Amino acid sequence: MKRNRLVATSVASTITLALALTACSTGGNDNGSGEGEAATGDIRVWLNGSDTPDAAREYLKTTFEEENPGSTLTIEEQSWTGLVDKLTTSLSGSDSPDVVEVGNTQSPAFTSAGFFREITEEEFQSLGGDDLLQGFVEAGDWDEKHYALPYYAGSRAVFYSPSAIGSDITVPATLDEYVELGKSLKTDSRSGVYWPGQDWYNALPFIWENGGFIAEQNDAGEWEGGFSSEGGLAGLAQVQDLMTNASLAPKDGQETDLQVPFCEGKVAFLSAPTWIQWSINAPEEPETPDGVPGCASTYGGDLTAFPLPGKEAGTTAQVFAGGSNIAVAQKSNNPELAFKAFEIMMSDEYQTILAENGLIPAKVSLASAVPQDNPIAQAGVAAAANTRLTPASPKWADVEAQNVLQSAFTKIANGDDVKTVAAELDAKIEEILNS
Amino acid sequence: MSTISTTPVAAVRHASPSAAKPAVRKSRETRRKKAANIVYAILAIVVFVGSAFPVYWMINTSFLPANLIRGSELHYFPTPETFTLRNYESAILSEDRAAFLPALGNSLAVTLFTLLVAMLLGFLASLAVTRFRFKGRRAFILAILVVQMIPGEAMMISIFRIIDGWQLLNTIIGLGIVYVSGVLPFTIWTLRGFVNGVPAELEEAAMIDGCSRGKAFWKITFPLLAPGLVATGVFAFIQAWNEFVMALIIMSRPDSMTLPVWLRTFLQATQATNWGAVMAGAVLIAIPVVIFFLIVQGRMTGGLVSGAVKG
Amino acid sequence: MSSTTLEPRTERSGAAVRPPKKRRPPVLPWTLLLPSLVVLGVLVGYPIVRLVVMSFQKYERAQLMGQPAEWVGFDNYAQVLTDVDGFWTVLLRSFLFMVVCVALTMLIGTLVALLMMRLGKGFRLLVSIGLLLAWAMPALAGTVVWGWIFDSDYGVVNNLLTKITGENWLGHAWLINPLLFFTVATIIIVWGAVPFVAFTMYAGLTQIPGEVLEAAQLDGAGPVKRFRLIMVPYVRSIITVLVVLSIIWDLRVFTQIYALQDIGGIREQTNTIGVYIYQMGMAQGHYGLAGAISVIFVFIMLAISFYYVRQTVREEEL
Repeated sequence: MKRNRLVATSVASTITLALALTACSTGGNDNGSGEGEAATGDIRVWLNGSDTPDAAREYLKTTFEEENPGSTLTIEEQSWTGLVDKLTTSLSGSDSPDVVEVGNTQSPAFTSAGFFREITEEEFQSLGGDDLLQGFVEAGDWDEKHYALPYYAGSRAVFYSPSAIGSDITVPATLDEYVELGKSLKTDSRSGVYWPGQDWYNALPFIWENGGFIAEQNDAGEWEGGFSSEGGLAGLAQVQDLMTNASLAPKDGQETDLQVPFCEGKVAFLSAPTWIQWSINAPEEPETPDGVPGCASTYGGDLTAFPLPGKEAGTTAQVFAGGSNIAVAQKSNNPELAFKAFEIMMSDEYQTILAENGLIPAKVSLASAVPQDNPIAQAGVAAAANTRLTPASPKWADVEAQNVLQSAFTKIANGDDVKTVAAELDAKIEEILNS
Repeated sequence: MSTISTTPVAAVRHASPSAAKPAVRKSRETRRKKAANIVYAILAIVVFVGSAFPVYWMINTSFLPANLIRGSELHYFPTPETFTLRNYESAILSEDRAAFLPALGNSLAVTLFTLLVAMLLGFLASLAVTRFRFKGRRAFILAILVVQMIPGEAMMISIFRIIDGWQLLNTIIGLGIVYVSGVLPFTIWTLRGFVNGVPAELEEAAMIDGCSRGKAFWKITFPLLAPGLVATGVFAFIQAWNEFVMALIIMSRPDSMTLPVWLRTFLQATQATNWGAVMAGAVLIAIPVVIFFLIVQGRMTGGLVSGAVKG
Repeated sequence: MSSTTLEPRTERSGAAVRPPKKRRPPVLPWTLLLPSLVVLGVLVGYPIVRLVVMSFQKYERAQLMGQPAEWVGFDNYAQVLTDVDGFWTVLLRSFLFMVVCVALTMLIGTLVALLMMRLGKGFRLLVSIGLLLAWAMPALAGTVVWGWIFDSDYGVVNNLLTKITGENWLGHAWLINPLLFFTVATIIIVWGAVPFVAFTMYAGLTQIPGEVLEAAQLDGAGPVKRFRLIMVPYVRSIITVLVVLSIIWDLRVFTQIYALQDIGGIREQTNTIGVYIYQMGMAQGHYGLAGAISVIFVFIMLAISFYYVRQTVREEEL
């Protein structure tokens, strides 16, 4: 009796859902309204976190409102937490923002699914063309069309404080020297190289410099993982050497609050994004209520940095570039105005403001605007000259979403067999990319 | 069993039940041995410390200056030298993040909406399924159970679509009905258990006394359900108050943000997180829940039921 | 006993007395149900239908933007059910985790409720406030604080252990061993779930008339016997509700595990079904697959709770 009822209900729902399905697939295709007439309106720009400096925000708003009388521009700050969820729903809904920032590794998930308005070849050329950071352009491409463009990049450098480790330190010239030096600087209470196990971005240069790769497409178009390649294994071995013999960081830790151990003098070398300098050389007693304490009077005061050296002397290592892309929402209610705001954000003036505030601008030609008055900035720019990205597959986002690399490098830090971890990692990556 | 089915009639007849504050017979607690009481008191303190320690740690942290929060030296107690209100200042006043007060207003509105609607609908539905026998009742009860097994993470998109279709994005009602639909199955399911605990004879007695059935439900059953209503009400309140993901995607504009979403804006990807402010913010979020609970907790004891029965 | 149309729901009262005039259409109960039905039908019923539809489709992010979805029959189901390392491992892990959490939650919750019965007003309020504080703590702050307590370098636990044992525990990673990870996760879940169970049990226990307990005591029944023979039958429906809800919630647990994985541990060894579905759906945009997992999951839950469901339905047949 009960079973019968269950069957009956499920049959009934199958019918309803078939109806629901047809209703949805016909209704879903129209998007955007009021295309054509360049009306006035309010443009909503979503920027993430507080990375975009206030000067740039100010410039964007005033310039846009001057150039488009009667229209307004609102910047809505989004938090990185839950960003993909929020973008997925909002960009596909009726209350879509007009211009959005996405992390460069997140962007394929959206470009491949039609969330962004296409940028024509002509527009692309006028917005910078070949002058734009190539890796980030690729991250915003899909099916040989442009959808999202570079916004800014960050880069990584190796930080240290001479007062903590002695001013007679010679900056290592090669990656191998860096490994040796890092190990020799380790004491019972101090990491030679501070490296929490989940921090996989820092491991990539070792793979690349040793001739390994993350994954590449073979002739048949299949992705093949490269951690088990000769270079990959050599790189992983170096990573494990550092993680186990030079680092006292938590084997399963994340790369957050790095300034804390550094300021306690527990870190000799710290490979980190360049913005970490602001956290380290902040005063012990924050000046603003919002400030986070650093150690300006001790190890932060003489903080300096060098770009991670490459395999050969005189080169810098290829490092992973983090950063953001920006795009115009497909469902923007005001695509033309939205594109105008987008143009301002890609303009030389706007990008110069970003550069002046220490970010690496979207255009290579503007890199000189990054202040190079101190060794940290120079190290950042030098490192940015040799950046590399994760495999250009929309499925790569899945690899990151499953935190495959965090898991693998935690195991490496924990001392697991490199060959086994590499084989598992390759298998997992191949499974996802080729699915 | 016989105690319940006979005495309440008298009880209802004698006292107007909505205002029933019957003289509870002198507690038998007093007869307990002192030793046992001491053991219980110790256990109570253990339970209190066990459940409150993380909260204590949060509060303790919220009064520490930023440079003492993360470090090898742990500060177990606040001292006059270290005590600071700076984190609260930062959480509430900082211009770098969304304003606290509007988020508080949104959270209060959504939560009260959820609470009132869920309690009312839940009460009515639980009456229907416990006090009546009708076709479709079993199916309904079964459906209420099954619905709770479905992982919410899988339905987020569809729910967003519905709210969007009704043009209710960024509205209190939009988020409110999503929360109501979230806690309602639970509310019905739990209240059903409590309604079962209230003898139907009480209602019958009232009806014999000339109450209409609706009045009997309202005047007799509803007040007697107080413990159940409080238990489910606190649940609904906390669910709505602390929910994050649906609030994030439905209230997508900055001025419609709720408190949990506001708290996440403290976490920065490319800056060190101001943990003191996070903890201060979390303390601020927890305070209204505690206030709400203190208001309703007196109703949680089954005083009315046992009183009515003992009469 | 049942005089008018009003039927008392006293257990086992027998369906024998059923006056023929009750055959008229039950307007009142449906009126009472209507508001709930509308809300649930639209906001739960429809999404479920969509979920089931999606589970038979290749439904990805592009479909959200209006591209027609391809019908793939049982492909999603086949993919999920053959994924031994993924789905089945995660499911088994979630199941074991749930059993431990539910058992501990119910045990501790019931004991705390019984304790509250014995306490005077002051101490009862103290316990209530302690429980409430735990319950009221925002999930984010809760997990962050627990993360701090077990932090490798700066945690309270390592700090105390170092002080007590004299050995150096600093740097000891608690979460990297999956078993310890789930021990910490169990503490967090049970800590968060006990207040609800304790409050509800307590509310239920106070409904028991004092005379009944008193009579039992006079008959010489010890505390255990009184609990088993008097209290349990009274609050049986509340206990079953709590157990079933705890099973459901702990199997689906998401926030705490997800946040704890951020703090430490090896993710692929610590995923639970809630995290797995989230990763498939929202994080990776495979809504069809996530739908299939959810449907399978619900069927497995039904199988687990089959006995209880049958029991409920049978009781309702009265």
